[in-house]
Amino acid sequence: MLKKLSQTLAAGALALGALSATATRIQAQDTVKVGVLHSLSGTMAISETSLRDILLFTFDEINAKGGVLGKKIEPVVVDGASNWPLFAEKAKQLLEQDKVAVTFGCWTSVSRKSVLPVYEQNNGLLFYPVQYEGEELSKNIFYTAEAVNQQATPGVDYLLGELERKKFYLLGSDYVYPRTTNLVLKEYLASKGVPAANIREVYTPFGHTDYQQIVAEIKQFAATGDACVVSTLNGDTNVPFFRELANAGIKSEDCPVMSFSVSEDEFRGLPTKDLVGHLGAWSYFMSIDTPANDKFKKDFFAWLEKSTVPGIEKKGRVTNSPMVLSYIGVYLWKAAVEKAGSFEVDKVREALYGATFAGPGGQYTVQKNHHVTKNVYIGETLADGQFKILKAYENVYGEPFLKGTFK
Amino acid sequence: MPRLLAHLLLLLALLAAPLRAADEEQDEPAPELAAPPPDRARLVAALLAPAAEQVAAVRALVGAEDAAIEPVLTAWRAGELFLVPLPDGTRVPATLAPAAAHAPGAAPDQLVALAVADGRPILAPASTADSPEPNVRNTNIAPAPLLIASRQLRPLDTSAPLRRAIRDVLEVAGVSDPRPHVRRESIARIGQSHKTEHLPLLLARLEVEKSSVVLRTLREAVALLRLSDPDPAVRAEAFVTLGDVRSLIAAARFKEALALPVGDPSAPSAADAVGMRRSLQRIEGHWARVNFAGNLFRGLSAGSVLLLIALGLAITFGLMGVINMAHGELMVVGAYATFVTQNIFVSVFGAGSAGFHYYFVAALPAAFVSAALVGLVIERSVIQFLYKRPLESLLATWGVSLALQQTFRLIFGPANVQINAPSWLQGGATVADVAFAYNRLFVIGFAALVVFGVWLVLNRTPLGLLVRAVMQNRQMASCIGVRTTRVNMMTFAFGSGLAGLAGACLAQLGNVGPSMGQLHIIDSFMVVVSGGVGNILGTVFAALGIGTVDQVLQPVLGPVMGKILVLFAIILFLQWRPGGLFPTRSRSLD
Repeated sequence: MLKKLSQTLAAGALALGALSATATRIQAQDTVKVGVLHSLSGTMAISETSLRDILLFTFDEINAKGGVLGKKIEPVVVDGASNWPLFAEKAKQLLEQDKVAVTFGCWTSVSRKSVLPVYEQNNGLLFYPVQYEGEELSKNIFYTAEAVNQQATPGVDYLLGELERKKFYLLGSDYVYPRTTNLVLKEYLASKGVPAANIREVYTPFGHTDYQQIVAEIKQFAATGDACVVSTLNGDTNVPFFRELANAGIKSEDCPVMSFSVSEDEFRGLPTKDLVGHLGAWSYFMSIDTPANDKFKKDFFAWLEKSTVPGIEKKGRVTNSPMVLSYIGVYLWKAAVEKAGSFEVDKVREALYGATFAGPGGQYTVQKNHHVTKNVYIGETLADGQFKILKAYENVYGEPFLKGTFK
Repeated sequence: MPRLLAHLLLLLALLAAPLRAADEEQDEPAPELAAPPPDRARLVAALLAPAAEQVAAVRALVGAEDAAIEPVLTAWRAGELFLVPLPDGTRVPATLAPAAAHAPGAAPDQLVALAVADGRPILAPASTADSPEPNVRNTNIAPAPLLIASRQLRPLDTSAPLRRAIRDVLEVAGVSDPRPHVRRESIARIGQSHKTEHLPLLLARLEVEKSSVVLRTLREAVALLRLSDPDPAVRAEAFVTLGDVRSLIAAARFKEALALPVGDPSAPSAADAVGMRRSLQRIEGHWARVNFAGNLFRGLSAGSVLLLIALGLAITFGLMGVINMAHGELMVVGAYATFVTQNIFVSVFGAGSAGFHYYFVAALPAAFVSAALVGLVIERSVIQFLYKRPLESLLATWGVSLALQQTFRLIFGPANVQINAPSWLQGGATVADVAFAYNRLFVIGFAALVVFGVWLVLNRTPLGLLVRAVMQNRQMASCIGVRTTRVNMMTFAFGSGLAGLAGACLAQLGNVGPSMGQLHIIDSFMVVVSGGVGNILGTVFAALGIGTVDQVLQPVLGPVMGKILVLFAIILFLQWRPGGLFPTRSRSLD
């Protein structure tokens, strides 16, 4: 009796196993696996969770229109947990275990540097969406991100040209992005005839809260009326900085601050009142007034409303440049796959060169050097945490290697 | 007093608004208008001129009297001026404003165009037919203002030379503006600009200017323009004046000129060089004194922040001997209490109302009580079992700190929360060129008050007596009938409450988020240890000392190196005096 029961059970289990095996095979034929590699916990989660959300939205949008090459996108979301070695492990898992066709991910440069060898070894494909310092080019990574000449140099051009600034206070957090960007900017300013005596360069540690001394220095630096601050301060250190600046009575007319790391998403935790009139430079602003952007925002917010992703934030959401660069990355990849007629990395890479997409921030074209030609906008902060667009630089070619090019 | 005036003005404006609206309604049926004043006509002509002639047309407006020119040019430069196409093919320069004020019943995103010529809304054509312009909607109610949806019109273009011309016109107009800050900015720009043709304008203003702040800028601007005067005597006088007004702009120019090699055609003459040097010396001497005083103030303020965050720890760690790693999280409790109080005030009084600005007064006791309660719970649940085992208390409180951080995340979310400073803590005063921010002044005063309060509690109350007795010798105090568990509980809660007060103050200076406590915990231990464990006075001196050294080193070494050097100095200091500034001497062997 007992024996019979166990036999039945075993047979049942076998049948069940066979059934589920066929099920996965059928599923595998209809879908293509795509990796999402972002920090969903830890310090970077605040910024990176938005990118996961926009990617899931993009996949749903594409799937609703029939998917890529007739296959539905099946996202494989992994959590890098703001832990750089873990990023490499998760990337390995995506490539070797899940065999994803492409990965969208990373925010900090150090996380990208940590997964780079994994993608090169496995000949994978990674799309990287966040402004960065350049000086890198891998055949397995496509950088939809703003290179330094698609954000920092147009920003400085605006300060030099439209605002006629002659003295530059370069203020940044103490890590690789600000230091490399400022290195390039110093060369650039020198090539524009700004003497070294008119440039100050100051770094503060992460989590620095006491900007009294720096603001006092800026006040005297700006007494000549032709100075500005170029800020690569990261994340929430902007709060004490701008608060101190406002309390010292330094207004944007006296000394405008051009920030490269403050986007609409960061404004959610900043006292925007203190930032009014100061400047930002990005390849996309939520306030861009085009039908394409309107549709993008409307669709994303509608998707958020209905989303069943556990723990997703639905209230007070915004769109910003890294989100849009993630979004267009997916569409550029889709265009390339359809052109190549295959998901194979080598074929897709060839097809990506010259691929174009008309997105929320304008036209995007993939260059031979794995960067993307796009529009760059200069905006002024408004009290509601949005930017008023002051100037657009159209179709700026992305150039990752800038050190030593301005001599 | 100025705020009172502002409120009065606001009230007047509110009262006047309906009247004005009524006026406009009466005016509307009579669209035929008097010809605009001549300056305005020139302005309109300049706006409609072909791009090539605009710069000259704008420059011709220098010195025009019409008060409407300034806002129109400002709008033009900012890209907020539009040419509104009319059905008859003409285009009318106008600024856009929300429609609600002029056309009741308009959708919130609709705008009306205010014509530059008369400042009134452009009216829709009287015909009931659809407007021939596809992008301009006719509302069929004649004569109603023309309604425009945003984005239909592109702003009138400007080029860089045109913007410069506009700026020049605005600068000259700004010299006699009724608002002192506009006058001051315009005068300062002219002073920096080398535009000697505006010297007579400034001299005329010098005769009538009353505001002392503007007067200083005016004297500086005049002297700066006179630096290029051909007469050496005038130049010499300018050097003296620039020294008098401590002009930083002049100092930069003098340094540049004096650095030129001898024989350079633009190098100053010998007499000029002497004048420049003398002036430069006075200017630099003044600013060195300003920086010295500023450093002292900033050091005092940084020290006060350190003092506030360390004072609670000086009690829980210094007096009680509990290595409390959750001290930072107790501050966060205080900061979130401030956030909650702010939100309560917003919902009761409304954001920006007069009542709202006093939320911080209520937030301080709220922060103290809530942090003290959390401290009480920690003491009862964890610490009371660990008084004899300080190392275990380190691990246990660290665990508590992680648990608290996660709790904050669950309740308030992982992102930072926004705390708006009350109006009386915003801005600052400048006395003799040294800037004093109000929130920094407040922190200094508050820290002094808290230290005084702690001293009172410890030395002038029965509780203080018991605390000191228990802290000196727990067993002995227990023997003579002191309820030591109760005293422990009260003392730990008191120290925690002080941490809460520090958190409320930090909320006015920096970020409030779940992990903000981690930023400050090291600093607070550093202060208590270098001051001497068990001694409140030591904490006070160590905090002020570390703050001042940090601020003095920062401009020389930068914030990163400055901080490293401070830490290094503390290590060396503790090697020399392991007990800190004021070591507690006792006969017990422990």
